[in-house]
Amino acid sequence: MPSASVSIFRSEEMTLAQLYLQADAAYNCVSALGELGAVHFRDLNPDINAFQRKFVSEVRRCEDVERQIRFLMKEMQKANVVPDKCTEIPSAPLPQELFQMQTQFMKYETDLKQINNNYETLARHELELQELDVVLCMAQTFFNDVRITPQSVAMAEIVEEAVDDLDEGTALINIHFICGTIRNDHKFAFEKLLWRVCLANAFVRISEQDYLVEDPKSGESIWKSTFIIFFQGDRLRKRIEKICDGMTATLYPCPDDANKRQVMIQGLATRLEDVRQVLKQSKDHQVNLLTEISHSVEEWFIKIRKMKAIFHTLNLFNVDVTQKCLIAECWCPVFQLADIQNALQRGSERSQSSVPSILHRIRTEESPPTYHRTNKFTTAFQSIVDAYGVADYQEVNPALYTVITFPFLFAVMFGDCGHGLLMFLFAVWLIYREKKFMKESNGEMFDTIFNGRYVILLMGAFAIYTGLIYNDVMSKSLNIFGTGWIFPKDLYSAEVINNTKQIAMPPDKTFSGSPYPFGVDPIWQLALNKLTFLNSFKMKLSVILGITHMLFGVILSLFNHVYFKNRVNIVMVFIPEVIFLLSIFGYLVIMIFYKWCIVTTFSERKPSLLITLINMVLSIGTVKKDQQLYTGQAGVQVFLVVLAVICVPWMLLGKPLYLYYRHKHVYKRSGNYSLINDNTAINDDDPLLDEQPSEEAAEPIGNEFEFGEIFINNAIHTIEYVLGCISNTASYLRLWALSLAHAELSEVLWNMEISKIINLKIGHAGAFVLFGAFAGWAGSTVAILLVMEGLSAFLHALRLHWVEFQNKFYSGMGYLFQPFTLDVEEWEDEN
Amino acid sequence: MADSEFLFNVDHGYLEGLCRGFRSGILTQGDYLNLVQCETLEDLKLHLQSTDYGTFLQNEPSPLQVATIDDKLREKLVIEFQHLRNHSLAPLSQFLDYITYSYMIDNIILLITGTLHQRAISELLPKCHPLGSFEQMASISIASTPAELYNAVLVDTPLAPFFVECISEQDMDEMNIEIIRNTLYKAYLESFYNFCQNIGGATAEVMGQILRFEADRRAFIITINSFGTELSKDDRAKLYPRCGQLYPDGLVKLAKADDYDQVQNVAQYYGEYRNIFDNVGNGPSEKTLEDRFFEHEVKLNVLAFQQQFHFGVFYGWLKLKEQESRNVVWIAECIAQRNRGKIDNYVPIF
Repeated sequence: MPSASVSIFRSEEMTLAQLYLQADAAYNCVSALGELGAVHFRDLNPDINAFQRKFVSEVRRCEDVERQIRFLMKEMQKANVVPDKCTEIPSAPLPQELFQMQTQFMKYETDLKQINNNYETLARHELELQELDVVLCMAQTFFNDVRITPQSVAMAEIVEEAVDDLDEGTALINIHFICGTIRNDHKFAFEKLLWRVCLANAFVRISEQDYLVEDPKSGESIWKSTFIIFFQGDRLRKRIEKICDGMTATLYPCPDDANKRQVMIQGLATRLEDVRQVLKQSKDHQVNLLTEISHSVEEWFIKIRKMKAIFHTLNLFNVDVTQKCLIAECWCPVFQLADIQNALQRGSERSQSSVPSILHRIRTEESPPTYHRTNKFTTAFQSIVDAYGVADYQEVNPALYTVITFPFLFAVMFGDCGHGLLMFLFAVWLIYREKKFMKESNGEMFDTIFNGRYVILLMGAFAIYTGLIYNDVMSKSLNIFGTGWIFPKDLYSAEVINNTKQIAMPPDKTFSGSPYPFGVDPIWQLALNKLTFLNSFKMKLSVILGITHMLFGVILSLFNHVYFKNRVNIVMVFIPEVIFLLSIFGYLVIMIFYKWCIVTTFSERKPSLLITLINMVLSIGTVKKDQQLYTGQAGVQVFLVVLAVICVPWMLLGKPLYLYYRHKHVYKRSGNYSLINDNTAINDDDPLLDEQPSEEAAEPIGNEFEFGEIFINNAIHTIEYVLGCISNTASYLRLWALSLAHAELSEVLWNMEISKIINLKIGHAGAFVLFGAFAGWAGSTVAILLVMEGLSAFLHALRLHWVEFQNKFYSGMGYLFQPFTLDVEEWEDEN
Repeated sequence: MADSEFLFNVDHGYLEGLCRGFRSGILTQGDYLNLVQCETLEDLKLHLQSTDYGTFLQNEPSPLQVATIDDKLREKLVIEFQHLRNHSLAPLSQFLDYITYSYMIDNIILLITGTLHQRAISELLPKCHPLGSFEQMASISIASTPAELYNAVLVDTPLAPFFVECISEQDMDEMNIEIIRNTLYKAYLESFYNFCQNIGGATAEVMGQILRFEADRRAFIITINSFGTELSKDDRAKLYPRCGQLYPDGLVKLAKADDYDQVQNVAQYYGEYRNIFDNVGNGPSEKTLEDRFFEHEVKLNVLAFQQQFHFGVFYGWLKLKEQESRNVVWIAECIAQRNRGKIDNYVPIF
């Protein structure tokens, strides 16, 4: 059994457990388990509809209370009452409290609704008075204006006459008028409709001055206009009234007599004053009630949500026949079993249950969920791996190695001291402000980057390191230790040196003999053949890194085979895989190192490794004289090729044939299969079973032994591996390609934006131009080189891990451990 | 107009995607099986929570009323439709407007009938479909003759051209209102049909099919409902929309029909209608003609989603959603009235 300390290497050891919870203690136990957050409940009634489950009425009541709380919160928002933040996260309330909560909030709700109703009625009354006031004023000014400003329109004259008549109370013809208010946006339709219905028989005047009122029901502000309509006859009055009704215009009585109007306006002022007084009191009353609620509303909201979550969980449980206890099944990590027991005990104590709740481990054939304990540093790396697929239960977790290999492979492509330093500092800033950023969400983009801050930190650090090796700081070199190349006095005359643009440096004369101690010699930065030199170096480097990485992956598969006691896979899969990889590609790596050490500019033979590798397979047993790297090469190569070729049928046929043989063997021995099944059934009953997965269980021995299927699976795996070795090696060349692209881009940026300006020769003005040019250069460095190139290198590193590395050992078909938790913060994360 | 399909996504791609997303939210057979098992409306609400409807009932206090569910279903649909309409460009915006015209017709008829029965306008307004509301709607009550109705109210609405044929009618009585409704609908369908044909491409094809069926369905139903009323055969023939498959031969025959059997005989000449008229009955296990028509409509609307780059999906989605609302309300009604015998009479969509 692995101890808890290796948990990042393999997922936690899990066990399936059955919980027997006393009916009256179940709620408290689940509440305690939820606060602990260590058990993953399984749905025991997947066939039962949501509304047919046992605790559905409780869930519903919780939802009802939740609705009431939401209503109250909405009212608070309307009234600008800020609910108090609860300082301490409350634990889930006792189930008995639900009833109390329900009545309490019911009372609040009805109280508030009543207050709101009263308020609304009052507000409506106030609105009416206010509008009446506005209408009367409008009418008053209208009648005055008509008299003062003579209007040329014929209609206006008639109106004027009529107005005079009205005022004198001697209306001869029955001209009437009505006035009222209408919503501003209905104004034109209203006017048009009146015209269409009454033709020229009505005179409409809508005031230009709009006024703002608050709708008592919704609290929205609405612009309204006042209008006055003159017309003749009662029939027309009916129609006009209908139109007003239809357009939701409000009509107000307006006395014909100017004096009466004046009296009415004065009377209104006092009435309005009274209503407003009452209205204010009503508002105060409402705010008081809301403030009273606001102290605890947030706390209750959390409580009720916790309660609902617990009842939801209880719905997943089975009820046993006697109805006395609930049976739950859950996955839990073995190391937390004691905590879980404690939590259960706490729950039972809290509900004063006489019978303790029992946790009972059960043996299952089902694969448990995968649970990797992570901290804030490893989370990001674990999520890189999980994004590809969640690890199978207890298989080797590549996240452990990803912590180093991922930033390293990234840095190989992003090798630049300067850019790496910027990236590193950015990550340091993120980590420094960590606590602040954690508190609030800053948008999806930023949060993504923030969550990966430790990945970025390591990526930056490694980029500095590879940048030192490539000796590249934003396309310039650092000459720290002094170059290893010198100009001997006698080689070139001073005149030649000063007048020639390019000077050859034959290594036999200009190399001092002591190489640059760390990384690439800075003199290469000036060399014409810099690219040729670096390309060869980086290409070989990527092949070496790639093959090492793949070999490492294959070796990790050994850990899986050993852990799962899968001897067949070790002999029939792992060994031929390693031999195949080493005999061809391992040999290539050795040749690279050999050539680096032995072959120099002055060597007679400078064989191309690529050609050597191709000819090794194509023309077995012959090596051309000028292509020979060492004596006896032909023999060694024949041996290696034969070895590799043998591995192919070994991988292809070994495992299926062995399984077939064993199948026959077992069949003969046991006679029939039901016996085996009976044996395992008996084992299941033993609660103290050893949890070691046996070899039998790991092998596909069942009632149906499908040779064809196993063979095809194995064939696919073999073909994928053999071809994969070649294509994956080629795929690692992206390390070289991206690193080249990065270096070239950064050089282009420097040459185009800085060098050109420096070489302009425009005197002191150059300083200002350079000032601008630097901003351009810095901007494009960040945008193109850091962000875009960084993203591209990140994606390629991701691909190398997911495809080239993980397909050697990682199956990733597991599912995540999702414990039931009452942690409020975690809920908010999910939302 | 092949080029309109190349450039379709430039203007309408987003909305089409949105619409197809909405379509994925339509309840499936599995959902209905769960819904019919519900014991109370609360159960119904609980199950709907796990579907695309989500929390649409969460702020409704218990006990729930069927009317509340109906209102909320409609409200959600209208919000979604308005969203599409507000983001649409011509000609899609025009197309969506065309869809709303049919609701306007229904609203007008509802209001006229209501006024005829002396109902207050404020009582009628909430019953109108929000998709077909227009500004002058509330003033309909002032009109006492069709001519007045046209001159005062409808002349400013997009329905004006459809109404021209109705102006001759004399009085507003039950019979005339029905005639107005059908004449309006006929003019509307023909105009909508032409509009879709002018758009061309897949829209013309898909919408053509749907609208032809709609026209024929109206012709059948008008004929069947006219038996035993005062409506003369000539008048009846004027109400048939002339854009369906029945036009012209079938309509001529329908115009002469005297009873249900003769209508059925006309349907025999047309493959799809023959299927609809087969197996129709009023028994408890048999389906009514109306349901058969609905089923066929659902089928056509579902088919609309099989093609891309056309407007038919918007129409199809709206109609399917409406059918779904009818289904949910039907089930809710059966549950509320504790009459589970007919609960399975909804029209399944997927």
